[in-house]
Amino acid sequence: MKFSATRADAVVLVAALALLAFLYIKFWGDATRGEQARILVGGKEFSVISLHQDQHLNIPGALGVSVLEIHAGRIRFADSPCHGKQCVHTGWITLGGEVAACLPNRISVQVIGREPRFDAINF
Amino acid sequence: MPRKLTTTRDDHLIAWLTALAVTIHIAESALPSPLPGIKPGLANVVTIAVLIRYGWRMAAWVTLLRVLVSSLLLGSFLSPTFVLSLSGALCSALVLALTYIVAQRLPGAGLSALGYSVLAALAHMAGQFAVAYALFIPHPALLHLLPVLMSAAVIFGAVSGIIAQAMLTKAGA
Amino acid sequence: MYAFPRYSPLATSYCLILLLATLSCSKQEAPLYQEQILALGALVDISLWGVKPEAARQAADAITADFNRIHTTWHAWKPSELTRINAQLVTGHAFSVNPEMIPLLVRAHALSQASDHLFNPAIGQLLARWGFQGDEPKGPPPDPAVISALISQHPTLDDVVIEGDHLRSTNRAVQLDVGAIGQGYAVDVAIAHLRKLGVENAMVNASGDIRVIGRHGNRPWRIGIRDPRGSGILASIELQGDESIVTSGTYERYFDYAGKRYHHIIDPRTGYPAQGTLSVTVLASDTATADAASTALVVAGTKDWHRIARAMGIKQAMLIDDHGTVHIDPVLAKRIRFETTPAPKIELSPPL
Repeated sequence: MKFSATRADAVVLVAALALLAFLYIKFWGDATRGEQARILVGGKEFSVISLHQDQHLNIPGALGVSVLEIHAGRIRFADSPCHGKQCVHTGWITLGGEVAACLPNRISVQVIGREPRFDAINF
Repeated sequence: MPRKLTTTRDDHLIAWLTALAVTIHIAESALPSPLPGIKPGLANVVTIAVLIRYGWRMAAWVTLLRVLVSSLLLGSFLSPTFVLSLSGALCSALVLALTYIVAQRLPGAGLSALGYSVLAALAHMAGQFAVAYALFIPHPALLHLLPVLMSAAVIFGAVSGIIAQAMLTKAGA
Repeated sequence: MYAFPRYSPLATSYCLILLLATLSCSKQEAPLYQEQILALGALVDISLWGVKPEAARQAADAITADFNRIHTTWHAWKPSELTRINAQLVTGHAFSVNPEMIPLLVRAHALSQASDHLFNPAIGQLLARWGFQGDEPKGPPPDPAVISALISQHPTLDDVVIEGDHLRSTNRAVQLDVGAIGQGYAVDVAIAHLRKLGVENAMVNASGDIRVIGRHGNRPWRIGIRDPRGSGILASIELQGDESIVTSGTYERYFDYAGKRYHHIIDPRTGYPAQGTLSVTVLASDTATADAASTALVVAGTKDWHRIARAMGIKQAMLIDDHGTVHIDPVLAKRIRFETTPAPKIELSPPL
């Protein structure tokens, strides 16, 4: 049998595969880990940000500016004007429900996932 | 005096081809499906063969009649299955017709059965999905199924395309 | 003869729709109301399941008020009713207190006694000297002479006489600090308040001191236990009905001074931070008990934790020592799931 696929066929196939890749990334890519983090200042919502865009955020708190770093789907306190640096020591958080907080500066960050794995973290 | 219903040669051809497509459609509907919403869609083979052999008008006729007749025979006429099936078929016929017309005008844009079949399957699934989403369950969670459904469409579309190609090669010899 | 199952397209399509419907239902916005408040010097998470938003907001407000009231009443170093009490305790004379404070004092006394005073809310002076009565402990550690002078006076709640709403101390070294029970107590008060408001499914989480009632919809509440050695999750457990989980860890509050780390769980027998334990997790029906017990067991260490847990009526507990070995009782071991790879070394204790 002579198989007579044309150049246009190839275009269609490549486009179809690209479409599939796009669909998987779009609808499945972010389903497992936390996608966003909710930042609260003084218990009030300050903003909700995506964990997929690497960036540094300066959040003004009670004492001064805390620096939040987002990298590769994780978030952490990079710096904070408190003495103990408890928040910085908490390190990276990435699972839905995980929390990092700088109490002196009254800033907290909570990772929110589609369905958080845990309703609460005990420590 | 009763008027005589005249039929053309094309009508006969459409009837025969539709009958063939309906047979495949019904045979396939008796098979268990691995996952609801995913079917091989082998009746598509007939549509693609007709498209390449006789043009888009004939293919559109065969596709729409196939859905209508099959639903009547299976007793699913006007049921949700029928609505989904029809919207898929309409969407796929539309895409095939457009592609066919463009391919006719544009040299070098000619598609073989494989390309048409994959396009048709994707269009069928997309149309069906859009209607399911809009009419039955407008919930974002449904979108999670879309990648799987579309993957199945590409695979079965390619398979149907290869079968159609083989048929045409044999018949056209 | 084997009959091949036949699927009509109609049935298939309804199946499809049903499947999609269940999928979408399970993902639907849960009737979960969550609010985070800052009270008691801590983040308090309130989760209410199946409560109408309006009622949920009212409940959350009520709890916020509870937490704030307890916070201002029992604060150990900012002027509060407790600091006023501490000022009067040194006189040795009887004085009246806010009657609302008596239940926690009675409770704390019972738990302290049961723990051989390893949980000891009377060592406020010691904690103050270590700088753990302050927002940012930073050292240096107190003079050894000061520490030995303080512990030689053996302040405990046994020295505090409660007569009606009057208190009197027979030991001038007694200074109250309810840091190891107050947060748990506040969680209990909040849960009791929620119950009174008709809430049946809820979780209150005050900086990791957690109590749940009922369930999270059609499943239990899922709790992750933080790894005391890192920032990940050590283990997970499901709670439902009426259960509390509290972990006390030496990593929670500490300061580094001259290359040495000093944490906040002070052994009342030595006057120095308890040695050999990273953290203790306790499950109990009420949070105050779990809170006090987890602190006592950190002090008790690998040698005595089992005995003290029994004395305090604790049925489920886990201690993680300095080497990362998990000492755990069989009941808790059965329901907890370790999440780290490789799994930690586990030493099963006799039943509690």
